[in-house]
Amino acid sequence: MALGFTPREDNVKNLFKIAMLSTVALLSVGGVQAKEDVVWWDFLSGGDGVRMKALIEQFNTEHADTITIQPTTLEWGTPFYTKVQTSAAVGEGPDVMTYHLSRVPLGVQSGALAEISATDLAGVGLGPDTFAPANWEAGQSDGKQYAVPFDIHSIVLYYNKDKLAEAGLLGADGLPTGLDGADNFMAALEKLKAGSDIPLSVQTSGDGTPWRVFYSLFNQEDGVFLGEDGTFFPEESIPKAVKALETMASWVEGGFAPALTEYEGSVALFTSGESALHLNGVWEVPTMTDLAAKGELGFEWGAIAIPTFFDHPATWADSHGFAIPNNVGKEVTPEKKAAVLEVISWMNKNSLAWANAGHIPAYSPVRDSEEFKTMQPNATYSILADTAVFDPKSVLAGVASPVYDAVANYIAPAMNGEMSAQEAIDEMKADLQDQAE
Amino acid sequence: MSVADSRNPAVDASGTATAQRKLRAFDIGGLILTLITLVFAIIWAFPIYWGVITSLKPESQVISKTVELLPRTWTFDAYWEVFANTMIGRWYVNSLVTSLGVTAITLVTSALTAYALSQLRFPGRTVLWYLILASFMVPLTALIVNHFILMAQLSLINTWMGVILPQLIHPVVIIVYKNFFDSVPKEYREAAKMDSASEWRIFSRIYLPMNWGVTTALAIVTFIGAWNAFLWPFLAVSKPDMMNVAVGITQVNDAFGVHYARDLAAAILAALLVALLYLVFQRRVTQAIMLSAGVKG
Amino acid sequence: MIRDQRREWVAAYLLILPFVLIYGVLFLWPTVQMVYLSFTDAPLIGPGKWIGIENYVEMFDDRRFWTSVRNTSYFVALTVIPNTLIGLAIAMMVSRLKGWQQSVILAMFFLPYILPVSVVYRIWNWMFDLQFGIMQYPLTWIFGKATPVFRTQWMFMPAVALVTIWWTCGFNILLFLSGLRSISTDIYEAAALDNASRWTIFRRITWPLIWPVTALVLTIQLILQLKIFDQVYLFVQGGRPDPSMVLVQYIYNSAFQKNEGGYAATISVALFVIVIVVSVLQFQFLRARGEK
Repeated sequence: MALGFTPREDNVKNLFKIAMLSTVALLSVGGVQAKEDVVWWDFLSGGDGVRMKALIEQFNTEHADTITIQPTTLEWGTPFYTKVQTSAAVGEGPDVMTYHLSRVPLGVQSGALAEISATDLAGVGLGPDTFAPANWEAGQSDGKQYAVPFDIHSIVLYYNKDKLAEAGLLGADGLPTGLDGADNFMAALEKLKAGSDIPLSVQTSGDGTPWRVFYSLFNQEDGVFLGEDGTFFPEESIPKAVKALETMASWVEGGFAPALTEYEGSVALFTSGESALHLNGVWEVPTMTDLAAKGELGFEWGAIAIPTFFDHPATWADSHGFAIPNNVGKEVTPEKKAAVLEVISWMNKNSLAWANAGHIPAYSPVRDSEEFKTMQPNATYSILADTAVFDPKSVLAGVASPVYDAVANYIAPAMNGEMSAQEAIDEMKADLQDQAE
Repeated sequence: MSVADSRNPAVDASGTATAQRKLRAFDIGGLILTLITLVFAIIWAFPIYWGVITSLKPESQVISKTVELLPRTWTFDAYWEVFANTMIGRWYVNSLVTSLGVTAITLVTSALTAYALSQLRFPGRTVLWYLILASFMVPLTALIVNHFILMAQLSLINTWMGVILPQLIHPVVIIVYKNFFDSVPKEYREAAKMDSASEWRIFSRIYLPMNWGVTTALAIVTFIGAWNAFLWPFLAVSKPDMMNVAVGITQVNDAFGVHYARDLAAAILAALLVALLYLVFQRRVTQAIMLSAGVKG
Repeated sequence: MIRDQRREWVAAYLLILPFVLIYGVLFLWPTVQMVYLSFTDAPLIGPGKWIGIENYVEMFDDRRFWTSVRNTSYFVALTVIPNTLIGLAIAMMVSRLKGWQQSVILAMFFLPYILPVSVVYRIWNWMFDLQFGIMQYPLTWIFGKATPVFRTQWMFMPAVALVTIWWTCGFNILLFLSGLRSISTDIYEAAALDNASRWTIFRRITWPLIWPVTALVLTIQLILQLKIFDQVYLFVQGGRPDPSMVLVQYIYNSAFQKNEGGYAATISVALFVIVIVVSVLQFQFLRARGEK
């Protein structure tokens, strides 16, 4: 061809290697089947996806003669949980999967999760005494264990040190200062506006970050999302919710945060050096670390716990855990069960590497270890452990739940001024109440 | 079907002097119209061109703030990455097997039925014919829930058969076949009958060979339809290694960092086979679609 | 003679058997099951109990159901007639050309039709990308700033309709093209001799003669677009799901996300009825016009 394509040599080599490996793999199928394959589904892409792939590889190497994890990464959120649910119902789910603990009640109600017995867990050294009590119980429903915690993750405020320094927002200790309080935060954004068109990058479309930020702010005012009697936004909490949402909307309205921007776009705004601040989950820590290591970031970055906008610190938090789908009509052999348990336990015991992805390990021995306590930047937002607020325990809550849908339908539009905060909260309340009945 | 070449009416009308004068005026107008057509066609095809070109750029040039109609550096990197990081080869096999399966089964069963409807008299014939005509109007999409339940009961979720079966209802294929079998002169059948040939023999030795053109046409259309099907293959498969290529590229996420070129490369690969088939067999495909809609020119 | 007839019957039944089996198992049976399921509270997989018309009562009172009916109708309105007219216009432009020119131009218009919907989605998502999409140049010019087309509520359906027309128009073009070819050139010659204007020729000759094809295209389009799912499902990801919900998507949501098989079947029955009623009405209407 005259166009002069030159396939890069190493790519050709790679392709060749893949071809060779798959041939070997095919040939070896005929051999002795002593090894146990564990089909694994997760939703981890981006920076923490890379960390997880490394962990899986390490596991497979260490268990070269006994267990092989066969991993697949599916689209995060609703696509993932829809696939899990329908697959489990027809006995076609994976052997083990990552699962948000916030979604355990909904998962159990829809029959997608299999119980994991305490004896089995104790057999691989996992139990209530190796996890924080609240974390461990989040994996339960009616006293039965359905998921094993793996981490606690939350949202943080990423910052561009150079831009903050320019705007005079760095304290003597080199950490951001003057961001606490909704009004101070707004004043800081105005200062930063001089140095960037969009000083605060935050996802403003769909269901992820809008929920996490809203829930954090709402809890900083002691708002109640789901009352004891099953009421969403009990009367006295409505003004608090409106206030939280109005604060979020004011960022977009003032031109400080981008309108109608999706998750990927919000990350790109920060990594490209455009925005000075970025509200997002700790799981993007490796993205920053990797870019900085490759010298592609172009500025010095940091992360701190999200500011206290209202009365007291509070930050949304959730946990990744491991769960076994309730594969209807499919018998789990004792060998398979043992292999799956080994996977879950090994991952927890090696979760220091996972902490590298920004998360706080759920497994207490790792969390209490010296290595983790000094790990950066995790140490700078370690306060999270004390201020974390988890999603309400309800079959309507959690990732890919009616609550998340309602966020995409009401909270995100209100952030963009497509409806008023009051209207959004009223409609969200009515909608959820309707679905609860 | 009479695929007469469209002729410019003015050219044929050139017998008289008035028409001749008209012709000249007509041609300038005609030229402008041709130009408009060309511009419009370029705009129409541009998104495809843009997708292909983007997939051949390095990611760093993809996100350039200026429009570059040709890559500064040509590279297949995005394609290598798709090969290395996704199961696209496996998805291609799934697409091929299921699309060929749908095509083969649909054509065979429809041709047999159409022959019976066209040439044989039997009780229930009229009812069957009306059922087929009526199912033309019925939205098969409304059956997804029950198709899923049925396939689950038959343990066919995540199998090729499970993808194929619910895609087999194509009343149009029978209707078109019947039209063509109807127009085969009766003498052929009568002569064969005299030789006491069986119905199967008459069908396979006379009716089918006489209508190979229709068969290829219908095969092409059915294949393209099955290759491009999204909703049912998307529902019937949850295991990534059993997905069709059109579904796989939207459901499995391995992306890290900027990946516009890679996403587009995966998309281009998904479309490649059918696109090439079309470009090579353009005339046939065009005719096939006209035929399959039952338009007899 | 009787024996001959018997033999013909047997042959006929053997020939139609495979199709009848497929038709029965994969069409009639699921249809019956669908109706039955709509009277139960069954999950997607597994038994449910008979609850009479409760699902139907719920459906008529369901905000999301009516939203999806409205959106589906809106989408049909945005696509069916424009897609038909644009198809006719392009077909007329293409039919003027000859030989290889016609082949090339036709291929440019037709190529989108053979793309899988996920490819169409990827291409247009890239075209409209908020940061780097090439469509942001004209959009910025019109609206004064970069515009997230698939995230701006009022633009969503029109944009999906635009993409759909781009994707499926090739089919209509082909049908019209074959229709145009079958119009005898003699008629045009006569008209040219009468010094008829282009518009008159179109209105008096082309339009009436092409009407059967137009009616066919309209019918096919209407049935097709009522079943809209793929494009909306793909483009709405990451946006507001409810305000742009369409019927098939609501069936999918109820059955596969909310695990409500019975209720999903109820909406399916509704879709079934809507499509049949609309097709029959349209058939009558078009026939009436044709006879006029």
